[in-house]
Amino acid sequence: MKMYIGLTKRNLLVYLKDKQSIVFSLLTSMIVFALYLLFLKSTFADAIENALNGFPFIKEKIGAADIDMLTSILLLSGIVGSAMITVPYNCLQTVVNDRENNVDRDILATPIRRWQIVLSYFSASGLSAILMNGMILTVGLVMIGINGDLHMGASDIASVYAVMILGCLSSTALFMMIIPFFKTSSACGAFFGILSAVSGFVIGAYIPISQFSDRVQTVCNIFPASHVTILLRNALLNGTLENIDKNIGGIDEGAFVSSIRDIFTFRANMFGRTLEVSGMCMYTLCVFAISLIAMMVLYSKRYKK
Amino acid sequence: MTNAITVKNLTKKYDDFTAVNNISFDVEEGELFAFLGENGAGKSTTINILCTILDKTAGYVKVFGHELSKDDDKIRNLIGIVFQNSVLDKKLTVGENLMTRGAYYGLDKRQIKERLEPYMDDFEIGEIWNRKYEKLSGGQRRRVDIVRALINDPKILFLDEPTTGLDPKSRKIVWDHIRKLKEEKQLTIFLTTHYMEETADADEVKILEHGNIIASGTPAELKTRYASSKLVWYTGRSDSAEDIIKGYDHSYDADHYNIKFTGSITDFLYRNSKVLTDYEVIKGTMDDVFLNLTGREMGA
Repeated sequence: MKMYIGLTKRNLLVYLKDKQSIVFSLLTSMIVFALYLLFLKSTFADAIENALNGFPFIKEKIGAADIDMLTSILLLSGIVGSAMITVPYNCLQTVVNDRENNVDRDILATPIRRWQIVLSYFSASGLSAILMNGMILTVGLVMIGINGDLHMGASDIASVYAVMILGCLSSTALFMMIIPFFKTSSACGAFFGILSAVSGFVIGAYIPISQFSDRVQTVCNIFPASHVTILLRNALLNGTLENIDKNIGGIDEGAFVSSIRDIFTFRANMFGRTLEVSGMCMYTLCVFAISLIAMMVLYSKRYKK
Repeated sequence: MTNAITVKNLTKKYDDFTAVNNISFDVEEGELFAFLGENGAGKSTTINILCTILDKTAGYVKVFGHELSKDDDKIRNLIGIVFQNSVLDKKLTVGENLMTRGAYYGLDKRQIKERLEPYMDDFEIGEIWNRKYEKLSGGQRRRVDIVRALINDPKILFLDEPTTGLDPKSRKIVWDHIRKLKEEKQLTIFLTTHYMEETADADEVKILEHGNIIASGTPAELKTRYASSKLVWYTGRSDSAEDIIKGYDHSYDADHYNIKFTGSITDFLYRNSKVLTDYEVIKGTMDDVFLNLTGREMGA
């Protein structure tokens, strides 16, 4: 156990001590934030205004503060959603670097078991993702909470953090399967560039996935990160939407809130079928479990030379 | 003396390529054992197999009585390795690198610090403890690498071309440390190198070529067998001198004859002691051994 903890600590330190790597791993999140300041906020607000135009009789019941809260939380889910992809991937580049620089030989010549080596890479990457996302989430929630009412109870906050942890671990497990195929850190870095560019779209940080065609939605929702971001959006915004619904007083029979859920993707659409919260949880857990099994098989072959 | 390592018919193949071809040898406890050969001769492959990093294709290996492939964990606890290239983390400090590596052997902080204590002054680790590994000079990095290899208190230290890329001064410092370790800790040292002069202190040298051992013995034995000694006789060129060295391979340079001897030189000196007033005897080098065995100079 001490050996596994020691190697996990080393893997964590290698990532956390490289400031450039940390900045690059949060690049997509920073871009999402910058785009939010530039135009995404007004785009989201316009989409809500358009939805309101369909319900003119409730317009006066939705305040600017509600719209602000919705857009802010949508931003937060986008930032966290993209960081759940980029942070674990970036941390897992250690696997490729270790192989390229023969550091793995130094590890293989110690009494640490092979499965502990694999698990330590997974643990360090998962932990760094949880650490970074936990910080972003906490700072985001505090800042949004200072500027308005989050309408979140303790159980909502607990589920937000639970979803975040699930997202970090499932992303890490998925990337653990992909990363062994990269032989050099430059190839791994090139893929990271693609990942950074695509991840914001896949999780719907720039444009809600529901705005895409069914086929594109299916492609986006193959990745568990999309499901996790939708789950996060649900957990973060349920209270706010319930409060808006309460303010409307039932005169639209929940139609406005339902249209917001459709526009900003609160359900996942895959192969023409709609997945609710439980379905998305199941899908993410299944991909997580399959990735874990595949990870152990892949790496057991990798360490037989 | 007991055997630290026993290797019988060791073979390593990669598809059609044979990296190590049916080699056998023993390494006695406490000796400095050297593998000499060019890049690609199979030196690092053999070390990687003995250190449990690579699987062998065939053969039998025992390290301090533990059989390879059966008792790998026990072997790993008994060995320390200084790799050809540094394998420590550049962004971490020397202290962080050594503390994390110590944990790989199940040691806690206190135990690691106890293990490191003797090396803090000897290897001047104390003064660079908080410096990032990437900021160290080549010589300092090698010193840290050696200390890292010693952290589990190994019985055998593998040195895979430990001075490659170092300047002569750093190379000398590293070798001073290695000699001291051998003397004070009675460590068995398994060295691979392509620097001929580094094998001079070895108790046993094996020369590898294309995965095969082509010669073995102490450096003196190898020189006697495969290198010719040279007599440099300072005298003017004359017929009488030519008569004396007739039958020996010789040449004349400026003010002296160069005379090559394949066997003992003593008889010749004794027989001609009256005329040999100014001379020097130059023993064959390991370079000559390698040249004679492979038909080419090292690195050529």
